[in-house]
Amino acid sequence: MRNPIFDIENWREIGTTLAQNKTRTFMTAFGIFWGTAILALLIGGSSGLKHFMSRNFEGFATNVAMVFPGRTTMPYAGFNKGMELKLNLQDVVNIRRALPQIENSSAVNFLWANALYGQKKSNAQLTGVESGYDKIFVPIIKEGRFINESDNSNNRKVCVIGKKVAEELFGSGSPVGKEVSINDIYYKVIGVAAQTSEISIGSQLDESIVIPYNTMRNSYNMGSDVNIFLMTFKSGYAPGDYEKTVHRLIVNNHPISPDDPGAMHYFDVSEQFKMVDNVFLGISLLALFVGVGTLLSGIIGVGNIMWIIVRERTHEIGIRRAIGAKPRDIIIQILSESMVLTTIAGIAGICFAAIILGLAEHLTADEKGTIAFQLSFTEAIYILVTFLVLGTAAGLIPAIKAMKIKPIEALNDK
Amino acid sequence: MIIDLKDINKSYPGVVPLHVLKDINLTIDKGELVAIMGASGSGKSTLLNILGILDNYDSGEYYLDGVLIKNLSENKAADLRNYMIGFVFQSFNLINYKNALENVALPLFYRGVSRKKRNMLAMEQLERMGMADRATHLPSELSGGQKQRVAIARSLITKPSIILADEPTGALDSKTSREVMQVFRDLNEEGMTIVIVTHDPGVGEQTNRIIRITDGRILP
Repeated sequence: MRNPIFDIENWREIGTTLAQNKTRTFMTAFGIFWGTAILALLIGGSSGLKHFMSRNFEGFATNVAMVFPGRTTMPYAGFNKGMELKLNLQDVVNIRRALPQIENSSAVNFLWANALYGQKKSNAQLTGVESGYDKIFVPIIKEGRFINESDNSNNRKVCVIGKKVAEELFGSGSPVGKEVSINDIYYKVIGVAAQTSEISIGSQLDESIVIPYNTMRNSYNMGSDVNIFLMTFKSGYAPGDYEKTVHRLIVNNHPISPDDPGAMHYFDVSEQFKMVDNVFLGISLLALFVGVGTLLSGIIGVGNIMWIIVRERTHEIGIRRAIGAKPRDIIIQILSESMVLTTIAGIAGICFAAIILGLAEHLTADEKGTIAFQLSFTEAIYILVTFLVLGTAAGLIPAIKAMKIKPIEALNDK
Repeated sequence: MIIDLKDINKSYPGVVPLHVLKDINLTIDKGELVAIMGASGSGKSTLLNILGILDNYDSGEYYLDGVLIKNLSENKAADLRNYMIGFVFQSFNLINYKNALENVALPLFYRGVSRKKRNMLAMEQLERMGMADRATHLPSELSGGQKQRVAIARSLITKPSIILADEPTGALDSKTSREVMQVFRDLNEEGMTIVIVTHDPGVGEQTNRIIRITDGRILP
């Protein structure tokens, strides 16, 4: 038996048939083209949307808890209500000792600062951090490095400045190694940092100056004050489970009522992210739903066209069978035609979608980088193969059905 | 004997089953030019379809060139049609998007003959029919007589044992009919066995033997 794939005659026959029936070929090809293009656009569009949204959270650990002070709402131990709670290093030590589940943590202090370099001036938020901070809030290091453990323990007068601060103070020149004055104390710039996400505590990192926590409290007479305490938990531990422990530790260390709801706040960021995850899940489900719908209607469209084509060609099939075509020859011919069409039109559709997605990527690009709308090669192949397999299957049904007709009935079909 | 029918019966199922062929016994020898004649609905076309393995029969035995044609697989039937039988139809049954040459060459495609060889052989047949100058014309660009000549060329290309023609002149004017019949007579002179189904006595006269069929029975 001849192998239809390696038989040049078979390909020539397909070529002639497709070329001689231009309208039919074009309509079928357009249907497949449109189906693949829409599916590819949908997949690319939804991944772009997800990327666009997830960019807002990039670089921020999701299992973060924040501890920050409030005001007492009830009198306790001789103190009036309305007293401002101040966290201190003892609280930090207590929490770290009690919770081995903590992975990274950092005490953080804030101050409003005037930074000077020569004649240039910049107002920025001064943030004092410990070395765990950049694991919780991953910065994009544009130049140099971030604050490390030994900077903090040695009280080094070093700073990492935000991208915008660097632009204000140094223009296009490199700030690393230069000395800047921050509230009249000189610091050596060791790095420039930025962030992509929209999440920030106070100012964005781009508009902040970061120095070691110990340096900050010594330089600006902050004693052992801690403005807020950030921690992430090891994987498998939910930040929400440790609110009570933290609350108890802080209550024990300060003259506040154990029942006072306002004195301290424990903010479980992972709760917020759960909501975001749900939104992402929603987008994925919607894309999947619409995608399957598109695919299905595309396949039904192809199947429908194949059905009409086979109906239309029943007489031709009858002629071919009268002169000696075997059922296999006819089925192979119909399927090869649909496969050739699907492949060519499918590739065209995916290319069309790729151009549109590339355009979308180009148009949405900003200084934070591009949003990934584009399909991966694998995705493109999947789309094509899915259409090829399902389209062929859709064509197989009418082709087999056509074979059930007796040659003489097919011949009499006009 | 190229065709040997023994007690062939055929009926079409339905609420009232239609018994179209009743105990048909018929032999046709090599080199005969035979007309099967009968009125519309007499069963002559059904008989021809059975002879051409385009339709099956209910009971009896049909030998084509010594091969029993009964309960054949569709693949075997297709092979027999391709190798042993050439068809000529009233409505020509050319593929309308293929030109004359491609139409004539098509049976050889299903035999796996290369395009070059097919086209060469097809051209030979077209020349034989005097149609060489119309080789690249589509059927829609040909007259009825020309279409029938192309169809005859197609039936001849496989060098069949027998040509079965179903009302080959039915769609042609009298002058063209005579020409087409002349073609069949010439082919018969060369030794080809030809069976023509017709209701036209003028066509019947030009054959060597007439088999009359009425109401599903062959008249003695």
